[in-house]
Amino acid sequence: MINVIYILVQIMVIILVAPLVNGIINKVKAFTQKRKGAPLLQMYFDLYKLLKKNAVVSEVSSWIFKATPYIVFSTALAVALLVPVTTLIVPTGFPGDIIMLVYVLALGRFFMTLAGLDTGSTFGGMGSSREVMISALLEPSLLVAVFTVGLVSKSTSVYKMMEAMKNADVPLAQPVLIMVFFAILIIIIAETSRIPVDDPATHLELTMVHEAMILEYSGRHLALMELGAAIKQLVFITLLVNVFIPLDQYIGMTGISAVIISLLVYLVKVILVSILIAVAEVSTVKFRLFSVPNLAAFSFILSFLGFLQYSVFGR
Amino acid sequence: MKDYLDVLSMLILFSSLVLMANKRITSCIKTFRLQSALIAVAAGIMGFKSLYEEGTFDILVVCLIIIALKVIYIPSLLNKASANVEYKVEKNFFLNIPILILVCCALVVFSYFSISTLEGINGGQINVQVVNSVAIVLIGMFFMISRKRAIGQVVGFLVIENGLFVTAMFSTHGMPFIVDMGVFIDLITAVLIMGLMVFRINEKFESIDINKLNNLRG
Amino acid sequence: MGLILWAIPIIAVLAFAVFNKEKMLHVTSITASIIILVVAGILTRNVILFDKIEYAALGGIFYLDAVSMIILDIVLIIGFMTSVYSIGYLNEELKHGKIDSRRIKLYYILMYSFMFTMVFALTVKNMGIMWIAIEATTLSSTFLVGFHNDKQAIEAAWKYLIICSVGISVAFLGIIFLHFSSAGIINSFHFLEWTELFDKAKALNSPDLRLAFIFILIGFGTKAGLAPMHTWLPDAHSQAPSPISALLSGVLLNTAMYGIIRTVSIVNKNLGSSDFTGRLLMAVGLLSIGTAAVFILTQKDYKRLLAYSSIEHMGIIAFGIGFFTPASIFGALFHMINHSFTKSMLFLSSGSILQKYGTRDISKVRSLLKILPISGTAFYIGLFAIAGTPPFSVFSSEFNVIAAVFANNHFILGSVIVFLLALVFVGIALTLFKIFYGTNVIDDVEPGETNIPGTVVIVFFLVVISVTGLYMPEAIITLIVNAQKIIIGG
Repeated sequence: MINVIYILVQIMVIILVAPLVNGIINKVKAFTQKRKGAPLLQMYFDLYKLLKKNAVVSEVSSWIFKATPYIVFSTALAVALLVPVTTLIVPTGFPGDIIMLVYVLALGRFFMTLAGLDTGSTFGGMGSSREVMISALLEPSLLVAVFTVGLVSKSTSVYKMMEAMKNADVPLAQPVLIMVFFAILIIIIAETSRIPVDDPATHLELTMVHEAMILEYSGRHLALMELGAAIKQLVFITLLVNVFIPLDQYIGMTGISAVIISLLVYLVKVILVSILIAVAEVSTVKFRLFSVPNLAAFSFILSFLGFLQYSVFGR
Repeated sequence: MKDYLDVLSMLILFSSLVLMANKRITSCIKTFRLQSALIAVAAGIMGFKSLYEEGTFDILVVCLIIIALKVIYIPSLLNKASANVEYKVEKNFFLNIPILILVCCALVVFSYFSISTLEGINGGQINVQVVNSVAIVLIGMFFMISRKRAIGQVVGFLVIENGLFVTAMFSTHGMPFIVDMGVFIDLITAVLIMGLMVFRINEKFESIDINKLNNLRG
Repeated sequence: MGLILWAIPIIAVLAFAVFNKEKMLHVTSITASIIILVVAGILTRNVILFDKIEYAALGGIFYLDAVSMIILDIVLIIGFMTSVYSIGYLNEELKHGKIDSRRIKLYYILMYSFMFTMVFALTVKNMGIMWIAIEATTLSSTFLVGFHNDKQAIEAAWKYLIICSVGISVAFLGIIFLHFSSAGIINSFHFLEWTELFDKAKALNSPDLRLAFIFILIGFGTKAGLAPMHTWLPDAHSQAPSPISALLSGVLLNTAMYGIIRTVSIVNKNLGSSDFTGRLLMAVGLLSIGTAAVFILTQKDYKRLLAYSSIEHMGIIAFGIGFFTPASIFGALFHMINHSFTKSMLFLSSGSILQKYGTRDISKVRSLLKILPISGTAFYIGLFAIAGTPPFSVFSSEFNVIAAVFANNHFILGSVIVFLLALVFVGIALTLFKIFYGTNVIDDVEPGETNIPGTVVIVFFLVVISVTGLYMPEAIITLIVNAQKIIIGG
C-alpha cells in the first residue's frame, strides 16, 4: 500500500518538474542574450495547448508512427520509476535496474528513429541516422561510467547506489567519481540533445538531430514526445544529482517533514544543474557532426579512467 | 587532504586529455593555462601544509613562481608567437582525434600498471599522484609527436615539464629549492629560445609545418 | 681556487658584451682560456695528490675528483685550442663577407656561456644542479648550431633543441626517482649529492634506483649521442660552424656521458653487481656502433661522416663502462681522452677544408693535399686515426677495451665489436680514397693555408694523438686509474 503512494509521489514529482527544467534553461539562455524570454512555465502552456489540438497523421505512415509517442512516453515514465527523487522514498528497485534503465531508454529511442523514417521524409531519415550514430558512440562511455559507480557502491541498483553514496564521504572528492561525474555530464549533454551536440532551438533542418525525428508530429502526439524527452532529461539529471551530490544524510528529521525538505533540496539541486547546463549551452557552439566522435572518445576515456582508477587502487 | 590532492592530480590529467582533443592552437594554450593553474593550486595546498607543519616557505614561493611564469607569462609568449604564424586550426592529423585520445588512454594504462607494481611505491601514500603525473609526462610526449606544427611541439614540451614538476612535487614534496629554481630558469630560457626558433623557421621556410623540415637525411 | 673556474667564463661573457672591436674580442677569448687552462693544471695536480677537492663555500657545491678532473681537463684543453682556431676561422669568414663583427660578438658570448655550463656541470656535487647545467648546455648551444642561419642550419638547430630538451626532461624524471629512492635515508641538506648517494648506496631503494637508471640512461644518452636517441647528432654536428662542432663532439658528449657514469656507480654499488646496468649499457653501446657503421658506409658529407664516427666512439665508451671491469673502465676513460683530441683535430681541419672549398660534399673535394698541405695531411692521418689504426691513440684505447672483453672470456661479444669496428674502418677508408686519390684538379680554389693559428692547433693535436698512442705521462695514467677506482667504488 505504502508503495503505491511512493510510486504516485515519484510520478507526480517527475512529471511536474520535467517541463520546469526546460523553462529554466530557456530563461537563462534568454538572460544571457539580454532578452526577457518566454515565461518559466511556458512548456506547461505549450503542452496544454498541444493536447487540445488535432493530431495530423500522414497517410503513408504505418502503426509505428502512431504508437511511437505512447512508447516514448511510457518508457520514459517507466525509467523514471527506477530513479528515486529522494532516497527517503523508494518506489521500486531491483538488482540490475541501471542496465534496464539504459536499455529501456534505448527502446524508446529505437522507436523514435523508426518513426522518423516512417513518414518517408528525408529530414526524418537524416535525423534518425544521426541519432543512431551519436547514441552508438556514447553507449560504451555510459555503460562503463554506470558500472564504475556500481563497483564503487557494490550494487547495480540505482537506489542502492544513491544510498551507498549517501553513506560515503564527499563523493566528488574521490578521484574515481570525479572522472565519472564529468563523463556522465558529457553524456547528459549528448543524450538530451543540448548544444554542443544538437541544438534544440534550431529551425534549420540541416542542423537537427532530435528535432528532425519529431518534425512530423502534431497535437497530442507531439505533446507526448516532448514530455517524454523532458522526462528523460530529468531522469538523467536526477541520476547525476542524487548519486554525486547526496545531501539527504544531513536532514535530521524523520517522517513527512523530512520527505518535504528532501524534495525541496532536490528541487534546488535540479535548478542549479539546469542553470549549469544552460551556461554550458551558451558558451559553446554546436559541433560539426563528425566532431561528435571526439567528444564521445573523450567521454569514454574519462569513464574508463575512473574505472581504471578503481580497479588499480580500489578507491 | 590527501583526497583533495588525489582529485587534483586527476583533474590535471583531465586537463591534459582536453589538451589532446583540441584542434585550435589558441585553445591549446588556454588549456595549458588551466593546467598550470591547477598545478599552482596543488602547490599552494602543499605549501600551506608545509608552512603550517614545518614553517618552510619553499613550496609557497614555488607556487607563486608557477602562477607568474606558467599561468601569466609563458601563455602570453606563446600567443604572441602564434599570432605571427598563419595557421590557427590543425586541419590534417596523422591520426584522427578519437584515435589520439584512445592512445592517450593506453598511455595512462601503461603508466598505471608499470609504476604501481613497483614495490617501493605501491600501497604508499603517493601512489595515485605519481602514476597520474608520469601519465601526464607521457601524454605530453605523445602530444609533441602528434602535431604537425612547430608550435605544437613547444606546447608538448611545456606539458612534459608540467608533468615532471607535478611528479617531483607529489612524490617527494618538491625537489630541493635550488633545483626548482634552476628548473624554472631553464624552462623560461627554453621557451624563449623555442619562440625565437619558431619565428626563424617561419621566416626561412614560410610555414611552420614540420614536414618541410626534412632536408637533412641519411 | 676552483671558483676561478666559474668566475672567468662569466667575466669573459660580460667582457664580450661590452667590447665591440674584433681584436679585443679575440684577445679576451685567448686570455680567458689560458687562465682557465692554467688553473685546471693546478687543480689536476691537487687532485692527483689529494684525491678530491671540496670547498665549503656556496653551500659546498663545488666538488672535483679524478673522474670529473679528467673530463674537465679535456673540456678546457679543447676549449683553448678551439678559441685559438676560432680567431683564424672567424677572420676568414669576415673576409669572405659571410658574417659581420656583431655576429662574432654573439659567437663568443654563446661559446663562453656554453663553456661555462659545461664546466659548471662537471664541478658540482649535486646531481640536480648537474642536470640543470646539462640542460643549459643545450640552450646555450642551440643558436651556435644554427649560426649560419640558412635553411639546413635552422632545421638542425630545431631538431637539436627539441630532441635534446625532451631527452633531458626524461633524465629529470630519472633524477626525481633518484631523489625518491633516497627519501628518508639522506639528510635534507645533502639531497641528491653524489658523495652522499654513493656512500649510502646500499641503503637506497632498489626498484626506484633501477627505474631512475633507465630514465637517466635514456635522457643523458640522448645528449651523449647513443643510439637510438642519436638522430639529432649528424645534423647538429655537421651544420654547426666547425670549431663549435669540435666542441660539441669532443666535449659535450663526454659531459653527458659523465652524468651516466656517476649514476652507474651508485646503481652498481646498490645492486651489488653490474648485470642490470651492464646489459643496458652494452646493448646501447653495440647499437650505437652498429648504427654508425651502417650509416658511415653511405655518407656523402664529410662532416656527417665525422658525426657518425662520434656516435660510434661514444658507443665504445658506453660499452666499456657497461662491461664494468677495471680494465674496461680504464679503456673507456682513456678512450674519452683520445677520441676527444682526435675528433677535435678532425673537425677543425674539416673546417679549413670547408672554408677553402665551400662545400661539404665529399665528391667535390679533390686534390686536398695540394691545396691544403698541412690541414689536408692532418685530415688524412686523422681519418686513419679515428678509424682505429695503430700507432695512434684511438687504437690503443680501443684495444684496451676489446682486450678487457676477451680477457673475461666473452668471445662472442668481443668478436661482434671487432666486426663492427672493421665495418667502420671500411666506410672511412672508402671516403678516404674518394677524397685523396681523385684526379681532377679544381681550378677556382687557390692553394695555401689561410688559417694560421688554426693550422698550428691542428698540428699540435696531430702530434699529441701520435705520441699518446705509444706513451702516456705517468701522472695521467695515475689520474685515470684513480678515476676508475672511484667509479668501481673501492
